[in-house]
Amino acid sequence: MTLEQAIPNFADWVFEAIRFLPIFMIVFAAAGFMIGYLVSAVRRGPVEGFYAVATVIGSAVVDIANTSVRRTLAMAMLAVQESIRRKVLVAFAVFIVVLLFAGWYLDVKSDNPGRLYLSFVLTSSNYLVLILALFLSTFSLPADIKNRTIYTIVTKPVRGTEIVLGRIIGFMAVGTAILVAMCLISYLFVVRGLSHEHRVDGEIQVTSTELSPDGSLQGSTTYDSHHRHTITMFDDETGETDVVMGHHHAVELAADGYQIGPPEGALAARVVRRGSLRFKDRSGKPGTGVNVGHEWAYRSYIEGGTLAAAVWTFDGMTADRYADGFNLELNLRVFRTHKGNIEKGILGSITIRNPDTGARIRSSEPISFAATEFSIDRQFIPRQLKAIDSDGTVSDVDLFEDLTDDGKLEVWIQCSERGQYYGMAEPDVYVLENDGNFAINFIKGFVGIWLQMLMVTTFGVGFSTFLSGPVGMLATLSTIVVGLFRQFIVDLVSGSMEGGGPIESLIRVLTQANVSIDLDIGRFPTLVVKFLDARFLDVLNVITMSLPDYAGFSTTEFVATGFNIEPSLLAMQVLRALTYFVFVTLIGYFFLKTREVAA
Amino acid sequence: MSESMTADALPEETTDASASDVVVETRNLSKVYRDFWGRQKVNALKALDLEVKQGEIFGLLGPNGSGKSTTIKLLLGLLFPTSGQALVFNKDASDVSKNERIGYLPEESYLYKFLSATETLDFYGRLFDMPADVRRDRVNELISMVGLDWAKRRQLKEYSKGMTRRIGLAQALINDPELILLDEPTTGLDPIGTREMKDLIITLREQGKTVLMCSHLLADVQDVCDRIAILHQGELKELGRVDSLLKVQDVTQMQAQGLSKEAEEKIRAIVAEDGGELLSLENPTTTLEELFLSIVTDSEARPGRRAQGDN
Ligand SMILES: Nc1ncnc2c1ncn2[C@@H]1O[C@H](COP(=O)(O)OP(=O)(O)OP(=O)(O)O)[C@@H](O)[C@H]1O
Ligand SMILES: [Mg+2]
Repeated sequence: MTLEQAIPNFADWVFEAIRFLPIFMIVFAAAGFMIGYLVSAVRRGPVEGFYAVATVIGSAVVDIANTSVRRTLAMAMLAVQESIRRKVLVAFAVFIVVLLFAGWYLDVKSDNPGRLYLSFVLTSSNYLVLILALFLSTFSLPADIKNRTIYTIVTKPVRGTEIVLGRIIGFMAVGTAILVAMCLISYLFVVRGLSHEHRVDGEIQVTSTELSPDGSLQGSTTYDSHHRHTITMFDDETGETDVVMGHHHAVELAADGYQIGPPEGALAARVVRRGSLRFKDRSGKPGTGVNVGHEWAYRSYIEGGTLAAAVWTFDGMTADRYADGFNLELNLRVFRTHKGNIEKGILGSITIRNPDTGARIRSSEPISFAATEFSIDRQFIPRQLKAIDSDGTVSDVDLFEDLTDDGKLEVWIQCSERGQYYGMAEPDVYVLENDGNFAINFIKGFVGIWLQMLMVTTFGVGFSTFLSGPVGMLATLSTIVVGLFRQFIVDLVSGSMEGGGPIESLIRVLTQANVSIDLDIGRFPTLVVKFLDARFLDVLNVITMSLPDYAGFSTTEFVATGFNIEPSLLAMQVLRALTYFVFVTLIGYFFLKTREVAA
Repeated sequence: MSESMTADALPEETTDASASDVVVETRNLSKVYRDFWGRQKVNALKALDLEVKQGEIFGLLGPNGSGKSTTIKLLLGLLFPTSGQALVFNKDASDVSKNERIGYLPEESYLYKFLSATETLDFYGRLFDMPADVRRDRVNELISMVGLDWAKRRQLKEYSKGMTRRIGLAQALINDPELILLDEPTTGLDPIGTREMKDLIITLREQGKTVLMCSHLLADVQDVCDRIAILHQGELKELGRVDSLLKVQDVTQMQAQGLSKEAEEKIRAIVAEDGGELLSLENPTTTLEELFLSIVTDSEARPGRRAQGDN
């Protein structure tokens, strides 16, 4: 699995967030006050306007302090009843129908059906639930205002906070119920979809292979579900098949012959150990990687055939964790300045080094490998390694005894081919730990969906406090689209856009001026246009950055590719979603408070 | 809404005489409806000054579109005044806490159609943060008061207009409010319902509650209101006690029994001496309808004349 964003260290992140939050809150409050005051001053004049804003803020404090659980839950229950009346179960029915059809068509010859099934169920649950949340949350309050049922609500001692919160809670309750059902059904669907049976085809015979020259009991299974396995018996009674299509089976000799168990290993949640990355430049000095230009600066590149290296430091590498050695997975990018042999990967080397500079043995012998583009290379680093002593003699060393320092170990990766480059970011190389619990990971994936649903609902209800149903829905939809394509927009804003910003582009379109020539409208107007365009892009940037990063909330990839969703990632998502929840609820409250519901 | 609707149904409210006895006050209250672009559309209420005192039944009268509902909505904070002030219990109308002591019956009953009568009242009870047991008793009490026991489990979408109106009234009384704002309370009710509504309003006054109602059904207003204000095109045209407003000052009506022919002649002579013609010997009352029509015609003929609150 490729991560397009490094997962920050949770403690660092929280620390940053806590440091940043007060500043954010002050800016938020100041901006809110300014906008409120401007609107109010235009309507009522500068003095009256100030008084009005102060009154609203004062009563907001009182309202928030007087928010009652019972009233909020009453509003939530009403939202649930309303949802049921609006036949939300239709969404669920759609889901079931989709799954039934999928069960029909997904029976393909994929080399990893588990991944296919998982990303299918997770993605379809995700989109369906978000659409459901979108419709539920944006039409409710406007309908109440239009039907004037809101009159009998706001003339009771109900606070705006309770109206907004109650709706969010109610719709989330409905959404949660549906999501839980979807989660259970998806799980059964995946497990059922992957389950299949093999029998033993023919005899299990003693064969001698390259791997076991003295012969072992081998055979093969029947061809079912588009594949067959080879069976190897460890002893007379137990054995195992090889891994085909992402799974294997246990084999057992029972009274009535060989029995092949259910598929195993298709649904994994591998836990990985991540290290921290630093670079050595082409002369071997500490430095940064090279930016090869066409790609976003997330990945850095090291040049082949030089001393440039990417160095990961891993912690907690002890013998009791990895008795025989450890599996390293590499997901390197390859950048070719000349074509070379396009069939073959680019050669490189892995060296294990002791971070302790005073250690007797500094480094293992380089282990060479070939990096292929867009695929994950797995390298097993055995416990027994060859090492070069400082005097140049080669000796056998023990990985943990000789090459680690207090559990710390360095993995150096270098590219061996001159003129070629390896690209990497911190999450691209990691140590495979052990298998986590798949079911829990699956649930974590749904928690990610739940958090997205929370944000859509919050934004939907927030917008519906001042926009009509359809407009509010479009606005909410835009936040989702911006959230999904956030990176694209950020690039658009920060990158050099040919032809300039919106106003400049418009002038160019109208005057039919080529994008490569300078604007021909005089020096001063050009400056004004460029200034306005820049401010426009700034605004766009701020809007983009302040909306939730839905793509970042999707952990579907993790579950589908069989990686454990790291707790710190989940914790960050929860905190982010809660922050949005709090602030958007607050904004919604102020809009509701300052609007005339009967106008 | 029949026998059960007597004083014992609603606990006696202890009225605190020392508290300010002005319950509703508007000062120079004006409302201009604007469209989306801020352009002026309707000048719905022009500088209204009103005071409603504790324990009285106050009627707002006026032809359609004269600003009655607008006034009530301003008092409830459903609308914000363009200028002036609306005060309820001496608090600004935008203050949510005043709602604890208010009941409101809107023009039409804007209730959730997918709830049953019991669920509706229970829901509004929750909005007053009433605990479950109190709520249950109160809901049952109100449902039988408005005579809907037989239909309390049915969804409101199955209700007739008058039934919806009754449940609307019940929700307005759920918190045993001190001030009740009724927007056209009798529309949609059958004659018995209308009678019961009027009885209820009087019962509420007997319990020391204040009622502000608006209506254009003059007979209803005449029957129950202590004081009325007549609005026309957003302006206050008349304000005062119903009995004094309806007293025709320049006509004397006399009816007598056992009066001798001579005495009658004497009276006739006196009247004739003053150039009058004897009809009867007391102050008659007109109907409110006549007063209303004369004010409206007068106001249309001479726009701009304002009533001076004489109380
Ligand atoms: N939401 C609104 N937007 C624009 N104008 C409005 C709005 N509500 C009321 N008006 C206008 O304000 C004026 C007063 O309306 P209001 O509803 O207060 O009258 P009313 O006295 O209650 O009449 P009725 O007896 O018909 O109920 C009318 O001219 C009406 O058209
Ligand atoms: Mg009205």
